[in-house]
Amino acid sequence: MKTPRRFGSRPDRAKPAGMGRLTLLEAAMLLGGLLFLAPIAIIVLTALKPDSEIVHFGSILPRHATLANFGRVLATPEEFPIARWFANSVLVSGATSLLVVTVDALAAYGLARLNLPGKRWVFGLIVATLMVPGQILLTPVYLLLAWLGWLDTYQALIVPAGAGAFGVFMLHQFFLAIPRDIEEAAMIDGCSRLRIFLQIVLPLSRPALATLGIFTFVGSWNDFLGPLVFLDSAEKYTLPVGVAIFQSSYYTEYGLTLAAGVICTLPILLVFLAFQRHIIEGIAMSGLKD
Amino acid sequence: MTGRRRQDWLGYLFVAPYLLLFGAFLVGPLLYGLRLSLFRWEMLNATPPAFIGLGNYREAFSDPNFWKALWATLRMVVWITPCTVLLALFTALGLHSLRGRRQGLYRAAYFVPTMLTITVVGILWRWFYHPDLGLFNSCLQAWFGLKAPWFSDAAWATAAIVIMTVWWTMGGPMVILLAGLQGVPVQYAEAATLDGAGPLQRLWYVTLPILRPVLLFTVALNTIGAFQIFGQTYLVTRGGPEYATRTLVHLIYDTAFQNYRLGYAAALSWLMFLLIGAFAVMQFRMLRER
Repeated sequence: MKTPRRFGSRPDRAKPAGMGRLTLLEAAMLLGGLLFLAPIAIIVLTALKPDSEIVHFGSILPRHATLANFGRVLATPEEFPIARWFANSVLVSGATSLLVVTVDALAAYGLARLNLPGKRWVFGLIVATLMVPGQILLTPVYLLLAWLGWLDTYQALIVPAGAGAFGVFMLHQFFLAIPRDIEEAAMIDGCSRLRIFLQIVLPLSRPALATLGIFTFVGSWNDFLGPLVFLDSAEKYTLPVGVAIFQSSYYTEYGLTLAAGVICTLPILLVFLAFQRHIIEGIAMSGLKD
Repeated sequence: MTGRRRQDWLGYLFVAPYLLLFGAFLVGPLLYGLRLSLFRWEMLNATPPAFIGLGNYREAFSDPNFWKALWATLRMVVWITPCTVLLALFTALGLHSLRGRRQGLYRAAYFVPTMLTITVVGILWRWFYHPDLGLFNSCLQAWFGLKAPWFSDAAWATAAIVIMTVWWTMGGPMVILLAGLQGVPVQYAEAATLDGAGPLQRLWYVTLPILRPVLLFTVALNTIGAFQIFGQTYLVTRGGPEYATRTLVHLIYDTAFQNYRLGYAAALSWLMFLLIGAFAVMQFRMLRER
């Protein structure tokens, strides 16, 4: 690297001299990146192998690629209803992100913009709970859900997720950054608070809302402990728990469990490829206050 | 800003839906868990719950399982946090020196593992570590004629959990650190270059001091996360050998949902909470010192 290091993130205006050159550093980054992706590539390639090739490991690539493992995973819908678990996961994750985005946007707007008495305290309390590890709530929430009669229902996975503080915090910071002038102009024109929120603030906040929604969707899709503890009947399982049960029944047949793993992974990889920017921004935002 | 001084009780309607969930599923259970921890509450036992004061906490301190789980957790934390954050820092520095689209491409490659469900991560690594059929031992066997006791030796089993956890969770801190690096003002580095500072000196004397708050934040976040390891040990090592890799959350899960000792599980949860809180306070104090 002979040219001065660039620290900004804007597209480079400098001479495009070094564009095609593969520096030593980039070679290392490439190697590391491949190493990070390798386990995922291996799981897909191995799922395509027939059992004999898995047991007697010869090479990474399958010699006789076959979809037989995938066929067998999907072949026993009575015992292992993978399609049903998939639908459950879509339902639960979708409903959770809808709930979280709606409730958090309303609350964040109220706390960021309205002159609520004591809102400093309320917001302080909410932010303080960001530090509370979720697992500590497991036992009391279990008892609460039992008392509500919600054990082994979808809402047991959806509604408690609405209590998380992350979205309120994130949207609060985002709303604070929107210039007040627009809202004040609308207020002079006689708009109600609710209309300002719905017709001005929400459209302006679409990127932040999308980020929170996708972020919540992925978190809910990947949740393991919640469905493991709160659900009983196999037909209500979400994919992660269902596939884990599947794995423990077929733990000797690696081809099958790896194929089930691939089926579980593909949708989330597609979500990631489609919304990469939002997901990564959401995480970056969680680390950078103010 | 006129008219804004008026206190707006009605505005709490915006915040009410969230506060309802926040109270019912976060603050409520948190406090209820504290109360629960003072009771003998066993679901398999016909005797009704009885108040026993600090009895559960006393039991924890003389319970070898608790100490074993505490040490297992600490052993993982002291490896996982430094390894993850250092690897994330180096990767972020590497990414930061790349430009435009290539940066995005590499960032995605390093981030993909973070998107996977713990079930899939578990299936994958359980197969990698399998003593006879696994990828690692197959390679070790073929190249060096030896096998590693991944599941039967406590140190190897801990290493197994650490390796897979670093691979799985490095993406989050990496993205946060990269965003932090992009916030470092260009002028400082340019001034240092004019003064004759090389890349390493710039990194050590300019970039890292400015990055310090973000770095400490990722350390704190990662420590909290590492304390809560559950899926990896539950799915891959099953807590073995002889509970050497059973973490605190894993013990809490076993206590509450295998042995149905809810009061004791709540006490263990609060002990873990206090421990994590102490670590967090310590780390945030370091953050403020600068």
